[in-house]
Amino acid sequence: MLAQLIQDPAKAAAALSRAPKPELDAYGQLPKLASTFDHVDGLFYFTYAVCIFFFVLILGVLLFSVVKYRRKTFDQPPASNTTHNTPLEVVWTVIPLIIVMVMFAWGFKGCLDMTTVPQAASQNTYKATAMQWNWTFTYPNHPVKSSGAVWLEVDKPAQFLLESEDVLHAFYIPSMRVKRDVVPGRYQTVWFTPTQCGEFHLFCAEYCGEQHSQMYAKVHVVTAEEFAKAPWNTFDDSTPALAAKSGENIYKALCSACHTVNGQSVLAPSWGGDKGLFTKKDGNVVGRARQVVENGQAKTVVADEAYIRESIRMPLAKLAADFAAKANMNAFGPDKLSDRELNAVIEYMKSLAQ
Amino acid sequence: MSHDGHHSVVIPAPGPEFVPHTVAHHFDTPVQEFQSAKLGFWLFLATEILLFGGLFAAYFYYHDLYPETFRVGGQQLDWKLGAVNTSVLLLSSWTMAMGVRSAQTSQKQKTMLFCALTVLGAVIFMVIKFFEYKAKTEHGLFVFPHMFDNYQVDGSSNAGSLAWFTDVHNVMVDETGAPLLHGHLFFAIYVTMTAIHGLHVIIGAGLILWIMKGVAKGRFHAGYYLPVDLVGLYWHLVDLIWIFLFPLLYLVP
Amino acid sequence: MTTHAPILDTQKAKSEQPKNYLNCSSGFWSWAGTLDHKRIGIMYLIGTGLAFLAGGLFALLVRLHLWEPNGMLFTNDQYNEIFTLHGAFMVFLFVIPAIPGSLGNMILPLMLGAKDVALPRLNLLSFYLWVMGAVLAALAIVLGGFDTGWTFYAPYSLYTNKAVVTIGLGIFLLGFSSIFTGLNFIVTTHKLRAPGLTWFRMPLFVWALYATALLQVLATPVLGITVLLVAFERLYHIGIFDPRLGGDPVLFEHFFWFYSHPAVYIMVLPAFGIISELVSVHSRKPLFGYKLIAFSSLAIAIISFLVWGHHMFTSGQSTYAMFAFSFLTFFVAIPTAIKEFSWVATIWKGSIALNSPMLYTLAFLIIFAIGGLTGVILGALNVDLHLHDTYFVVAHFHYVMMGSIALAFFAGLHHWWPKMFGVMYNETLAKIACVTIFVGFNVTFLPQFEMGSQGMPRRYATYVPEFQPYHSASTVGAIILGSGVALMVSYLVASLFIGKKAMQNQWGGVTLDWLTPTPPPLENFAHAPKVTTEVYDYSTLDLKSTQTPIG
Ligand code: HEA
Ligand code: HEA
Ligand code: HEC
Ligand code: CUA
Ligand SMILES: [Cu+2]
Repeated sequence: MLAQLIQDPAKAAAALSRAPKPELDAYGQLPKLASTFDHVDGLFYFTYAVCIFFFVLILGVLLFSVVKYRRKTFDQPPASNTTHNTPLEVVWTVIPLIIVMVMFAWGFKGCLDMTTVPQAASQNTYKATAMQWNWTFTYPNHPVKSSGAVWLEVDKPAQFLLESEDVLHAFYIPSMRVKRDVVPGRYQTVWFTPTQCGEFHLFCAEYCGEQHSQMYAKVHVVTAEEFAKAPWNTFDDSTPALAAKSGENIYKALCSACHTVNGQSVLAPSWGGDKGLFTKKDGNVVGRARQVVENGQAKTVVADEAYIRESIRMPLAKLAADFAAKANMNAFGPDKLSDRELNAVIEYMKSLAQ
Repeated sequence: MSHDGHHSVVIPAPGPEFVPHTVAHHFDTPVQEFQSAKLGFWLFLATEILLFGGLFAAYFYYHDLYPETFRVGGQQLDWKLGAVNTSVLLLSSWTMAMGVRSAQTSQKQKTMLFCALTVLGAVIFMVIKFFEYKAKTEHGLFVFPHMFDNYQVDGSSNAGSLAWFTDVHNVMVDETGAPLLHGHLFFAIYVTMTAIHGLHVIIGAGLILWIMKGVAKGRFHAGYYLPVDLVGLYWHLVDLIWIFLFPLLYLVP
Repeated sequence: MTTHAPILDTQKAKSEQPKNYLNCSSGFWSWAGTLDHKRIGIMYLIGTGLAFLAGGLFALLVRLHLWEPNGMLFTNDQYNEIFTLHGAFMVFLFVIPAIPGSLGNMILPLMLGAKDVALPRLNLLSFYLWVMGAVLAALAIVLGGFDTGWTFYAPYSLYTNKAVVTIGLGIFLLGFSSIFTGLNFIVTTHKLRAPGLTWFRMPLFVWALYATALLQVLATPVLGITVLLVAFERLYHIGIFDPRLGGDPVLFEHFFWFYSHPAVYIMVLPAFGIISELVSVHSRKPLFGYKLIAFSSLAIAIISFLVWGHHMFTSGQSTYAMFAFSFLTFFVAIPTAIKEFSWVATIWKGSIALNSPMLYTLAFLIIFAIGGLTGVILGALNVDLHLHDTYFVVAHFHYVMMGSIALAFFAGLHHWWPKMFGVMYNETLAKIACVTIFVGFNVTFLPQFEMGSQGMPRRYATYVPEFQPYHSASTVGAIILGSGVALMVSYLVASLFIGKKAMQNQWGGVTLDWLTPTPPPLENFAHAPKVTTEVYDYSTLDLKSTQTPIG
């Protein structure tokens, strides 16, 4: 693009103007998207106006002086030698003082509103778990999680409980004007009421290492009906088929970062394909034989439910032989994957058997 | 005065066993030189106190978070050895003060003697410190045995058991025998603070030895004793910091 | 010191060619081992100047990389190292030591009518600590770089497998370099003032350096212990900052900002000092509100110890802490506002010479108003919850650090260049460079305010495409800015070889520094100066001794 700019500025400018416009919130151009808007934007405009006022004042005086009092002869004395003017000095101390105290009070009031969680929000509490470099969300009153995306109901106050598994992160939804650091060892919360349906960015705003800039999640603000249909919201293990479907959702949210189901074992053993976990034998689904390493010893085991449960709860116990050297799966304890969910995942794995 | 030409101000020696002192070229008077150095040194001492201030802040912060850990940790230290060390340092502060006094009155032998006694105090302090560290190591509380082991922190099961501060014999427990929350923290802070303080003791002793060399050459006398004075101040600071460390670490409130 | 005597003797012998501090002796050791404050100042100038160019090069790489949403040049990892290097070089190797180390060292004793700083050996030690810090920083790059951001936030700085301990040690040494410089200036100001130079006859540059020195001495030790603790944590896992061991990463933030907020005033107060001098000299008018400016420096120094929490509004402080930190943050703006207005009032009805130092000064006044006022926006609690760690903050601190401090440094450099080297640079080129820098700077950083307020987070190697127009504009600006800087460096260096000879009192100043021969001799003054007039009293100016250019 740099080269283009030099060769054909007109075309480059056109390309720039075609670049996606900020779908988000240029100040004052889009309708308000969340309850937190009023608190932040009002004061922002006010301070902005104050800044422009003082800036123009200073610039004006400087320009005027430079033109009017320019030294024209070598020995030109100054037009005035005044070094004090007490009323003036009082004015320019007191006026800024008053202005900044207004800003302070306004900002503090807004901050209190933004940090005091109303009842309705605390009854609708999500958990956002940050780790290098992704976000996982747990929904209020639902066993399932999602990662990389979160669904919210429009006009319903929501609270997020923030926890970090490793280093500092920050939970930042610019369109909602909320930001809070996610501190390992501490729990923090934010709340807001989204007031418009749409898709919004959730950024990690605290530097957390290599992929800090890709630690991204999409925020879907949807109507109540759509909310009920959202994939994470359909956990149902009443029949094996429904359980497998729910298991697939969990797979997509939590496991698909490493595992595939198409037989390709790049980061981790694939669950499907001709080396998958299960196979069909005489119409029954049975576990395949696996080469594993236990306490440094090579072994062959059958991938039955017990083995799989162990592989998830305690991945280091038996390592898949091909991955023994680079095994990096974290344990998924009952806090992250309940027994019901785990069974649903296994149901899904079985459904992959060929 | 000496601004226009380049003739230096010289302070004569009080006797044949001493040497005269030449005031640095950019000062006009000996008083100016003395006061400048003194002011500079006080400022330096202030930075030292602030440096330790950070450590004290950390101490109070974690004492507040894990009071039990600090109480039990304090009990593991031998307060008697600490008390002995405190008296040794206090005494050495007195000998140092006497050393400065003798330098101010041009008493060469006495200055040598008192400086030597102060260094002796420093040596005793460090020897006792060594045995304390050694005892703690033998109790399996920290450092030396595991120094070069791999760092292992297992978030879930065993947080706090790490190479340098492994509590091998499980002494950091509460009344019921349950392991204390972050039992290693007390010793981590104890070692950090006392080691940095110990480093200051060693530096102080080195400075006093350097002073003794100057005294032997007759450089310090009633007309010029500035370096002795400053090193004396430094030694009192080292002492002062220990006065705070002792109750905070050995007699945990 | 002993080297001085023979030199002065030879001076008498060869009186036809006056000896000054530059040509009085030569050879490597006459510089490397010098105790003369002016030579140490020159060495600082070279050192910090190179650090600025290196930091600027990293900045250009940052900007080029961000030309495209997915990043044009580097992997994420490399980008993280580069912006960290940029921040660390600029802050620790350039902006903190630059003005006190070079111009301060050079001018402070001259302004006080002293022969040297009070503790010349310590001064040389300061410089070598700086050199060692720079060497360790370079070593850290060789040993694998570091990618923690200039803030070294735990626990990331404890876990990353980069050369954090090496750079930490470097910063420790740089900290002591800064402490010793400050300590030296305090003592010098107290003890070496010329007869008649009372506190309220001291030029404001001296006042500013004095207030800075207080901060250097009182705040920097905390940085020292903080980086030591990080090093210990990495080496033997104390657990003070490591949450896995019961430590609290927020404590690290408190430690870090307890130093680093006062540090921003360590950076800016000397710049204020330069601006105070320059508005007066180039308007040929006594400073408006001299005492208020002097005291406001002290007020800023004191209040700045109490506002560090405004960098941590999102870290989950208690409401009380937020209340206090926000309140005090607004308070610190008041003494600064007093300064800004007093400078403007000094220029008002002055006799204004629009030469290059004055152009830089005007640029400073304009840019600093924006930089400071956007700081005030960030001090508002709820607004900061939105803007924290976005490009709005990046733009704010570049307006104050590059746009104000670096420009004030350039202003001072142009102002005292004739005094330091006895030569004048090319004024026309200087004016062109100043305008280029001013334009390039604003093109670089104005778009960053806008994208920051729309939510573009900082320290991002890649970004969502809707921010691309702003990033591209910013990159173009950086290129303009860079060429302005390159032009400035070239004509300044060229002037050393082909510059016209400068007057003794090039601009018509009335502080003691302009009474020395140009360039000054080893012990500065031919005759011991005595001060009998008030400060900035231009009625005493001997117009014939100056060649003050017309507007
Ligand atoms: C030299 C550098 C410097 C200076 C002088 C300042 C000056 C100020 N800064 Fe800035 N600041 C930084 C360097 C500096 N800052 C850096 C490096 C960071 C980011 C660090 C990081 O995270 O990496 C930062 C971040 C920062 C934050 C945190 C933002 C965040 O991360 O969330 C805040 C919040 O309060 C802040 C506030 C202020 C204020 C109120 C001033 C005030 O002192 C400004 C006072 C000046 C004026 C007010 C302008 C002049 C006056 C007038 C024109 C008259 C009219 C005035 C009024 C009506 C008030 N700064
Ligand atoms: C004094 C401090 C200072 C200065 C002067 C600058 C100057 C500049 N800075 Fe920087 N910056 C910081 C301090 C400073 N910065 C800090 C502290 C950070 C935060 C780091 C962190 O997050 O940890 C930061 C971060 C930062 C970022 C954000 C990175 C990110 O968050 O991802 C960006 C992006 O645009 C940037 C850009 C620039 C630019 C374009 C300049 C320009 O003004 C530079 C202009 C100078 C030049 C362009 C040099 C030109 C000359 C040459 C190239 C050499 C020619 C050679 C010869 C003639 C010999 N800086
Ligand atoms: C960070 C990457 C990663 C994630 C996320 C991950 N795994 Fe794994 N998984 C691995 C690796 C690597 C192995 C091979 C080493 C081993 O056996 O532990 C593995 C092995 C397994 C095995 C044993 C497979 C075999 O072939 O023997 C099972 C079962 C398993 N994972 C289930 C899961 C489930 C269920 C989830 C999600 C809830 C999940 N994994 C998430 C990386 C991951
Ligand atoms: Cu997570 Cu940045
Ligand atoms: Cu600050």
